[in-house]
Amino acid sequence: MSLSPFWAWLEALPLSTAIGESWWFPLLESLHVITATFVVGSILMVDLRLLGLAARQHPVGRITREVIPWTLTAFGLSAVTGVGMFLTRASHYIDNRAFQVKLVLLVLAGLNMAVFHLGTSRSMARWDSSSVTSAASRLAGASSLVLWVGVMLAGRWIGHLL
Amino acid sequence: MAGLHQTLVDLANAMAASPLGPLTRSLLRNVRGFAPIIQTVHILSVAAVMGSVVLVDLRVLGLALPSQPASELTRRLMPWTWWALLSLATSGLISVFARPQRYLLNPVFGIKFSLLAPAIVLGVVFHRATAADARFWEHTPLRRLSARLIAGCSLILWVGVAMAGRWIAYADYLFPQ
Repeated sequence: MSLSPFWAWLEALPLSTAIGESWWFPLLESLHVITATFVVGSILMVDLRLLGLAARQHPVGRITREVIPWTLTAFGLSAVTGVGMFLTRASHYIDNRAFQVKLVLLVLAGLNMAVFHLGTSRSMARWDSSSVTSAASRLAGASSLVLWVGVMLAGRWIGHLL
Repeated sequence: MAGLHQTLVDLANAMAASPLGPLTRSLLRNVRGFAPIIQTVHILSVAAVMGSVVLVDLRVLGLALPSQPASELTRRLMPWTWWALLSLATSGLISVFARPQRYLLNPVFGIKFSLLAPAIVLGVVFHRATAADARFWEHTPLRRLSARLIAGCSLILWVGVAMAGRWIAYADYLFPQ
């Protein structure tokens, strides 16, 4: 089953053409970049704490509780603005190799976060206030850093393949 | 203004003619992925700015990280801002040397740097005051108010810098030729 009629239909929506033919596109793009940098900048603190490289005197649980809501809010705004841009040339983006890589990396980053919050962090009581977290937590922090750098690189690459 | 414009034209010509002009142009043209990689270094450095000075601003305004004292956060995070600026300047200069006319004569580029200069000044003032006394901004009501004003301005300026940075490529929308 081909989804190409669906992407073409998305592109033809009045909203899509309105965004694509006006200053809405650069506005959405700049908001996308700002919220994305905020996602990475905020999650960096959590990742470095998990790796034992920063904020060692602060409990991991308190940092994640205070930082992650900001990360998720920024991510939500980034996703909305991203969809807005996607609509304008949906069938091109879907075929864009950098866009495909970015989506895969985003899914992996999401899974990494889910595994940490639903599994790894259950043993947090043992290492919450310790400067050295568990091996699984350090792996989660390192994976997150690599994945988000990859998301940014792939995201920036999309425009070079259009 | 005419004088400034001529200065920028001269500077752009000098940059294009300097050894770094042909070098960066050839890297951009011949090394696959050079442009997106340099741009990603630039954007990741912006992420470090968001995760350092902007987070400090949000903390001082009482909006984020309530469990981490603003004084400690300032001392811990502001050095990240200065390293990020070094990386931003390096990656930015590579792009500018490759195409100086595109940037130096772009009105949005001018807006970006008009916002960046005060943002850096506020950051230096705020950070330096805590060098000798970590709780410098907490001693009197006037200092607490000043800290909040600085944080509010800094936050708006940094978001404006990032916004303007992305709009350099869309200057035609704002300033139709």
